[in-house]
Amino acid sequence: MEEISTKVLVIGGGPGGYVTAIRAGQLGLPTIVVEEAKLGGTCLNVGCIPSKALIHAAEAFHHAKAQEKGASPFGLSVASPTLDFGKTIGWKDGIVGRLTNGVAGLLRKHKVKAIAGKAELIDGKSCVVRMADGDKRIHAEHIVLATGSAPVEVPALPFGGPVISSTEALALDAVPATLVVVGAGYIGLELGMAYAKLGSKVTVVEAADRILPVWDPELTAPVAKRLKQLGVEVLTATTAHALSDDQRALVVRQSGSVDKLTIAADKVLVAVGRMPRTQGFGLEKLDLTMQGRFIAIDDQCATSMRNVWAVGDVTGEPMLAHRAMAQGEMVAEIIAGEKRSFDKTAIAAVCFTDPEIVSVGLLPNQAKAQGLEIVIGNFPFLANGRAMSQDDEAGFVRVVARADNHLVLGIQAVGMGVAELSSAFALALEMGAVLEDIAGTIHAHPTRGEAFQEAALGALGHALHI
Amino acid sequence: MAYDVVVIGSGPGGYVSAIKAAQLGLKVAVVEKRETFGGTCLNIGCIPSKALLHASEMMAEAQHSFDTLGVEVTPKLNLPKMMAHKDATVASNVNGVAFLFKKNKIDSFRGTGKVLGQGKVSVTGEDGKVEEIEARNIVIATGSDVAGIPGVSVDFDEKVIVSSTGALSLEKVPGHLVVVGGGVIGLELGSVWARLGAKVTVVEYLDTILGGMDGDVAKQFQRLLSKQGFEFKLGAKVTGVAKSENGATVTFEPVKGGSAETIEAEIVLVSTGRRPYTDGLGLAEAGVELDERGRVKTDGHRTNVEGIYAIGDVVVGPMLAHKAEDEGIAVAEIIAGQAGHVNYSVIPSVVYTSPEVASVGKTEEQLKAEGIAYKAGKFPFSANGRARAMLHTDGFVKVLADKDTDRVLGVHIVGFGAGEMIHEAAVLMEFGGSSEDLGRTCHAHPTMSEAVKEAALATFFKPIHM
Ligand SMILES: Cc1cc2nc3c(=O)[nH]c(=O)nc-3n(C[C@H](O)[C@H](O)[C@H](O)COP(=O)(O)OP(=O)(O)OC[C@H]3O[C@@H](n4cnc5c(N)ncnc54)[C@H](O)[C@@H]3O)c2cc1C
Ligand SMILES: Cc1cc2nc3c(=O)[nH]c(=O)nc-3n(C[C@H](O)[C@H](O)[C@H](O)COP(=O)(O)OP(=O)(O)OC[C@H]3O[C@@H](n4cnc5c(N)ncnc54)[C@H](O)[C@@H]3O)c2cc1C
Repeated sequence: MEEISTKVLVIGGGPGGYVTAIRAGQLGLPTIVVEEAKLGGTCLNVGCIPSKALIHAAEAFHHAKAQEKGASPFGLSVASPTLDFGKTIGWKDGIVGRLTNGVAGLLRKHKVKAIAGKAELIDGKSCVVRMADGDKRIHAEHIVLATGSAPVEVPALPFGGPVISSTEALALDAVPATLVVVGAGYIGLELGMAYAKLGSKVTVVEAADRILPVWDPELTAPVAKRLKQLGVEVLTATTAHALSDDQRALVVRQSGSVDKLTIAADKVLVAVGRMPRTQGFGLEKLDLTMQGRFIAIDDQCATSMRNVWAVGDVTGEPMLAHRAMAQGEMVAEIIAGEKRSFDKTAIAAVCFTDPEIVSVGLLPNQAKAQGLEIVIGNFPFLANGRAMSQDDEAGFVRVVARADNHLVLGIQAVGMGVAELSSAFALALEMGAVLEDIAGTIHAHPTRGEAFQEAALGALGHALHI
Repeated sequence: MAYDVVVIGSGPGGYVSAIKAAQLGLKVAVVEKRETFGGTCLNIGCIPSKALLHASEMMAEAQHSFDTLGVEVTPKLNLPKMMAHKDATVASNVNGVAFLFKKNKIDSFRGTGKVLGQGKVSVTGEDGKVEEIEARNIVIATGSDVAGIPGVSVDFDEKVIVSSTGALSLEKVPGHLVVVGGGVIGLELGSVWARLGAKVTVVEYLDTILGGMDGDVAKQFQRLLSKQGFEFKLGAKVTGVAKSENGATVTFEPVKGGSAETIEAEIVLVSTGRRPYTDGLGLAEAGVELDERGRVKTDGHRTNVEGIYAIGDVVVGPMLAHKAEDEGIAVAEIIAGQAGHVNYSVIPSVVYTSPEVASVGKTEEQLKAEGIAYKAGKFPFSANGRARAMLHTDGFVKVLADKDTDRVLGVHIVGFGAGEMIHEAAVLMEFGGSSEDLGRTCHAHPTMSEAVKEAALATFFKPIHM
């Protein structure tokens, strides 16, 4: 068995792992990253990037269709647009390929060794990777666990055949005529809406009594409305029961009802959450302290074992790529001897539905639950010039602040393109902004960002444009 | 009855000032000579231009990028309908201002306002009737008008030889549009017509387009516009614009000396800048001083005459709607006895072309000229996942920070959606934040704004994804 020694061993090449490795390399630490599937992890291969590419293409097709029907106000018309879905998927694969190759290139550039294979932990200092050309045993001073997450299965609907996870939904051969999405969380709705725009008849089944239940109904209402406009049927308070006998439909049951409903389904996308990948690679040998299903970490991403660190989805919520990356960057710097801790006030959550939703910091009900007295400012895009010129006035920006000293506690938005407003929201929270700070920052005209300033003015009791 | 405040002009400076003053409990009237409120910006500036830019961008996307996504269309333009979208956008904006006036109990006078001296304004209606109003305070917000070319007589007929106003309402797409002046307005409106099929030639006196913008940005931007088919004649002094049989001719000679050249155009857009507009205001008689460039002279927004203030395009500073608005707010606060203040060092500016250009703070050239030691960090959108997924990889983010303190001094962005991304930089700079503050703020993935974070990382250490 080949024996290799290094300073830092990263297990998993997703955003958590590869960013740890790049930063470690930049800081001059000898580093190895082991990845059993493809560099880039969930995010680059079967998550954030391919989903956004598909969403973008679906949006383009949807626009073209609207123009064909003469519904475009912009004076454009098109003759019967057609979709070459194979080309769409090929284009998406091209992007994924370029980005994952890019990660490989970056690792090389920063002298990180990438090993393709599955890492099996031996103890808190070493692992073995079984490879065709012989096994490798790697010793390291520091191990960083970045094994990520995998889709959760519904026991009654095991993956296989027509029952697919987000991974398969991003690589279908054809647009399914009928699609049932189980779970109205962000992944289910992002993909469900995309397929609705590509021409599928989509039904969404959700056990809770509304879509996107982590957020308040005010914030999600514009998405609910758009779903309706797209002809997507949403069945809330409904649970998926099983596939029909002929495997061509899904049987569901609405709460409070004894009757079962059968919905035609060429594909059933199960998107009911993701679980940390903590099994099958010897993690139990380390006997780390766990926090529920996740690996427990402190504010430096240290686990209960010295010099074993964990980053990303395997460490808990929010399971987001940018949290994984921020953790990875920090862990590398700590290993390099820098004084760092993870004290983010704000990790934005973005939902790339139509319209997009952004939430940073506390929601109004969360702030109230903490016993805080709050003021809320809400500015609708229908009073925003940029939104009017883009003919998409759905949604608003909402600012939540303490009533006594105006410290901003949370910022939410729903509307076209609000994903790109999220960074300014996060920065405002990180800087400890009060309402007056936002109200007093000049925002360029005409932009959607003006709605942020107006919402702060509104919370102060004097919005200008409403 | 005497008003606390009479505002002359209802552009973004004037109408915002009026609303703010009313909110602060003052009795306010506005004088406007145009049929609708909203000034240059809402009627013939920002809003209609952005409506056409958005609509024409949809056309360009359908023509050039849909195919890559697997969406096959042949778009057709219906120009009258596109113009109707623009007109509807303008109407909803100007009606919005009228509504806000009503809501805030602001009186309005239709006619040309004249300052009769301290505390007195006259309004001459279209029918020639003159009304006098008493005003404890007068705010001059008369804005700006098309300037023409210094030393060249230009006969604007708004059909063949047009200003920005005419260029917003052409009846058909010109075969060849010559734009005199490569500033923001010329490049925006040039882009509209280029996307709709016109051949566009820009003739500019300086050696660069977007004079005053960061040099890197201007250079890259010119390259991108050239790729879109723009032709540039830089360092060219226009000596004549004249109508001809088939349209018009533009004659220019190299600024450095050399022989003159004449080109034929179907339409000529003269966009060489705007001049402060004080015609008929009676300022000389009222004793209100102007500066050497015809702008109303102010000190802390006050003119030399007690109780008379001036804001917006009619005073010194960048001719931008949001700068006018902020001055409007400050003046209202000052009149109400509060401490109004405008931070002129943090005013973002945006060019709404594709890609967009946005900047805030100092350019690299300014820092050099001022002898300030700085460091720079740059990150290209070609290495950004969301940009890839949306086919918007052109451009970059550039962060400039103080070499010793790391305080951010300027941020410049060329890229899709730059106008929305610039706001986090504005918020940061209002807080005197460092590039490390910016780089360590968690940016949502996948967003274009991650490039801002990466450029900041590059400024104080190293970017991750490059
Ligand atoms: C459809 C979808 C859309 C999403 N959209 C977004 C979004 O828009 N924004 C966002 O922030 N997040 C999004 N996410 C979530 C995001 O993908 C994850 O939060 C992120 O990938 C977590 O990064 P990670 O490094 O912790 O784990 P992962 O990306 O899951 O990477 C873990 C890697 O470790 C490897 N691995 C595991 N065990 C071993 C082993 N023993 N040996 C070797 N290799 C191993 C795996 O093969 C995998 O490549 C989305 C997810 C999905 C499924
Ligand atoms: C094509 C174009 C595009 C633009 N795009 C943008 C952009 O995207 N973003 C941006 O920030 N800026 C943009 N601008 C600039 C912006 O329009 C101006 O900076 C802004 O309108 C200035 O506001 P103001 O209130 O000072 O003056 P104005 O908007 O010019 O308003 C002045 C008003 O005063 C009235 N008036 C003048 N004299 C009298 C009188 N004696 N009595 C009564 N009424 C009078 C006028 O009729 C007018 O309505 C653009 C300009 C143009 C031309």
